[in-house]
Amino acid sequence: MKQKRYLVTALVFLSAGILFMLWDMFFSHPEPGVNPYAYDMKAIRSADTLLAKYREVQQIKPVLTSIHGLAVDRSDRIYIAGDGGVELYNREGKRESAFRIGGSARCIHVDKDGLIYLGMEDHLEIYNHQGIRVNQWKSCAPEAIITSIAVTTDDIYIADAGNKIVYRYDHSGKLIRKIGEKDPRDSVPGFVVPSPWFDLATDPGGALWVVNPGRHLLEKFSREGAILGSWGKATMAVDGFCGCCNPSHFALLSDGSFVTSEKAIERVKIYSPKGEFRFLVATPESFTEGTRGLDLAVDSRDRILVLDPERNQVRIFVPKQ
Amino acid sequence: MEETAGDPKLNRREFIVRSIRVTAFLGLGGLAVLVAEKSGSGETVWQLDPSKCIQCGRCATNCVLAHSAVRCTHVYAMCGYCDLCGGYFKPGTKTLNTAAENQLCPTNAIKRKFVEDPFFEYTIDEPLCIGCGKCVKGCGAFGNGSLQLQVRQNICVHCNQCSIARSCPAEAFSRVPAKKPYLLKQITLEGPKSGG
Repeated sequence: MKQKRYLVTALVFLSAGILFMLWDMFFSHPEPGVNPYAYDMKAIRSADTLLAKYREVQQIKPVLTSIHGLAVDRSDRIYIAGDGGVELYNREGKRESAFRIGGSARCIHVDKDGLIYLGMEDHLEIYNHQGIRVNQWKSCAPEAIITSIAVTTDDIYIADAGNKIVYRYDHSGKLIRKIGEKDPRDSVPGFVVPSPWFDLATDPGGALWVVNPGRHLLEKFSREGAILGSWGKATMAVDGFCGCCNPSHFALLSDGSFVTSEKAIERVKIYSPKGEFRFLVATPESFTEGTRGLDLAVDSRDRILVLDPERNQVRIFVPKQ
Repeated sequence: MEETAGDPKLNRREFIVRSIRVTAFLGLGGLAVLVAEKSGSGETVWQLDPSKCIQCGRCATNCVLAHSAVRCTHVYAMCGYCDLCGGYFKPGTKTLNTAAENQLCPTNAIKRKFVEDPFFEYTIDEPLCIGCGKCVKGCGAFGNGSLQLQVRQNICVHCNQCSIARSCPAEAFSRVPAKKPYLLKQITLEGPKSGG
């Protein structure tokens, strides 16, 4: 009788052991889909919507299927450049005209006289308003990738992401000087451009501003190439610039404030003329994840135009009431 | 009808003999191919394709080894040597230094070293890496995607049916030739497909 009791007790323990092993083998694993090492991109991309002070009011859908560059002229006409062509829209977003180009325009600028400057990979092409090519420059440099153009009365500035340099030309196409070459004697740190987004623009005072994307800075230069100042900070927080190299693009509002766009955390923001973060124009939720190349333009009414290559649209934002 | 010399028509005996010869020849040929494959020229191993990987974390938890054979590999040719490295720093890091609380890697397996202003080099301390893919996700989202997961062939025990491959939701695992056992994404002229 006693032996039988021992046997039953042993069998109970054995069964419990087998059940534990079965549970351990088949049921104790994490649930499928639960990642203990998850990197929550949604949380990073979710922005404080209270910081968004603009609303989207209109979209322009171009006929071009691959768009790269955006510009606005003095009459608020909207120019969209891309693979094989340029399209023109009036300020209401109605298509006015278009012309074909022999290649892909990565960037576009329209000067006060209505001349259209296109960055065609390694060289500049200039078109008139009728879409007739009036000039074609020779290649800026071997391996040049022209990513931005700014035109003033005296100068044409070209950003070359391939060679990480800015060129200053006169209007005849003569190279006057290179700007931003690393020079410790003049405290020029040099441009760090890990990816082909390298923007520049001139402010209302005529000063040249260039993004130094790898340093997460906007740098101000004199015509002679001396660095006059800079602002920006590297952070994933909303008040700075995230990722390896940002901002990818910027534009200037009429009061000298900066509008910036970023990739990785896709967002459009406004900074004061001194570089202090003000608010968001468009939150990351406004864009498809992975969107890059959000070129910017500002019209005479300070409406902010955002080129969205992923959705193949130009999206127009205005301040909330 | 009479048979003449040189008539191509076969008799039954000749047909059987020729059939046996052809069958034997094909059999020997097949055997030779099989032997050649077995002797190593066609040997395959498990590897994961970084372009399909979604960093689900199962490489760290589903390997039959207690410490997974999948580890992070750094493709230096693709790296931007960024100061603000998305694969190294946790989101929300305030100061970009090597403090433990700033590091994204749960085992601190990535080492950061200053090269020259503003560049930093990142190396993987492989024995510490558990193959979770957290850094791979961060690098792909904010950088050039130079951090990539790979099955380390010197650690892998070469199961016939890889338990990670069986549970991989992206079907990123496949058999690759043992002579070329690694599948790394390389830099392209178009640049990375994502990243910051």
